[in-house]
Amino acid sequence: MPQALNQTYDELVYKAQSLFWEQGYKGVNAQELADHLDVSVSTIYNKYTKDMLFMDSITYYMNTYSDPFLSQLRASTEGLISLKGFFYALIDALLDKTFPRSCLMVNTVVEMRNENQEVIDLYKKYFDALVNSYKVVLDKAIELGQIQHPEKKEEYAQFLLGVIFSLSILYKINDKESLQNFIDERLSFIV
Amino acid sequence: MRYKEYNVNRVLEKCIQLFWVNGFRGCSVKDIVEVTGVNRFSLYHEFVDKNGILYNALQLYRERYCEDKFNILKETGQPNELLTKFYLSFLAEENIHPGCFFIHIGTELADTDERIKILVKSYLDEIEGLIYQLLKQDASTKHAKFYARHLTGLFCTSMSFCLIHTKEERLQYISNGIDVILNKYNSYATST
Repeated sequence: MPQALNQTYDELVYKAQSLFWEQGYKGVNAQELADHLDVSVSTIYNKYTKDMLFMDSITYYMNTYSDPFLSQLRASTEGLISLKGFFYALIDALLDKTFPRSCLMVNTVVEMRNENQEVIDLYKKYFDALVNSYKVVLDKAIELGQIQHPEKKEEYAQFLLGVIFSLSILYKINDKESLQNFIDERLSFIV
Repeated sequence: MRYKEYNVNRVLEKCIQLFWVNGFRGCSVKDIVEVTGVNRFSLYHEFVDKNGILYNALQLYRERYCEDKFNILKETGQPNELLTKFYLSFLAEENIHPGCFFIHIGTELADTDERIKILVKSYLDEIEGLIYQLLKQDASTKHAKFYARHLTGLFCTSMSFCLIHTKEERLQYISNGIDVILNKYNSYATST
């Protein structure tokens, strides 16, 4: 008799994303995934595949972790001061393991690069959301007269997009104070 | 007397390729045995454990693949041109794998393995030191340190984000990053 599944698919995605976040895509095999989700390996092979769970884990990550962060940023009113608060909050989330291991998207970029078209589409969605949020804040900052060269908005947004990548490595080898200092200095480049 | 029937560096070279493609967690000791053709007993004898193989592989990567790239920063020329050339040398098409093995492994393991954390840190410190030497020619110690720190940050970004870029996007991203960072350095350097 086939094993009855007493968990919803959403519950499985919720559990899977924490494993993928800690161990990456390639660092999880079907058996480990099955054990972690408390389902049989045949469920992973036949019903909810590793790829499917991984894609939905990324979507879960975007909806649960990054979107609230970003909508808060877009709604902020203090331009560069809000931006600094955003990066400080990110540092805290990385250090206190609210984000258990870097940013899931950064990990995925390094691990999988352009190997999978579905993942590439998700990168685009994610990076567009980031850049657009940065532009909204930059507009505020320009309005508040915090930026000397408003015509460089595009360049600055791209520049800011890189910050999450460097933080994803640097938080592992630096303390909180030097990371905050790093952010202060980064932002000084765009004033 | 028993002679080793394999060359340690050749084994590590194969492991670099294996870890790069599959990730460290993504391959088992069995995979390593298959790829290198060296049995488990000899591997453990030489490297103690699977982590030991990785530490030695990182060291070999530094010795074998980084020297030429690091030397770019010692050439004479405009800092922004040398820096661009330096970052791009890691991403060149002819490399077996684009990117940097240290950043790749650091992303996977630097928050769980203390030894990896130390190795990645000293590697990035070395890069920061070289960039500092390059910029010191035209700027004060304090300024050169400041810019070197941020150009090392840009190195981390380039070795992750730029992996998914096309050649053009990558060049554009790197030059933009250097420009934004060195913008003030240039006005500073020319005014002194």
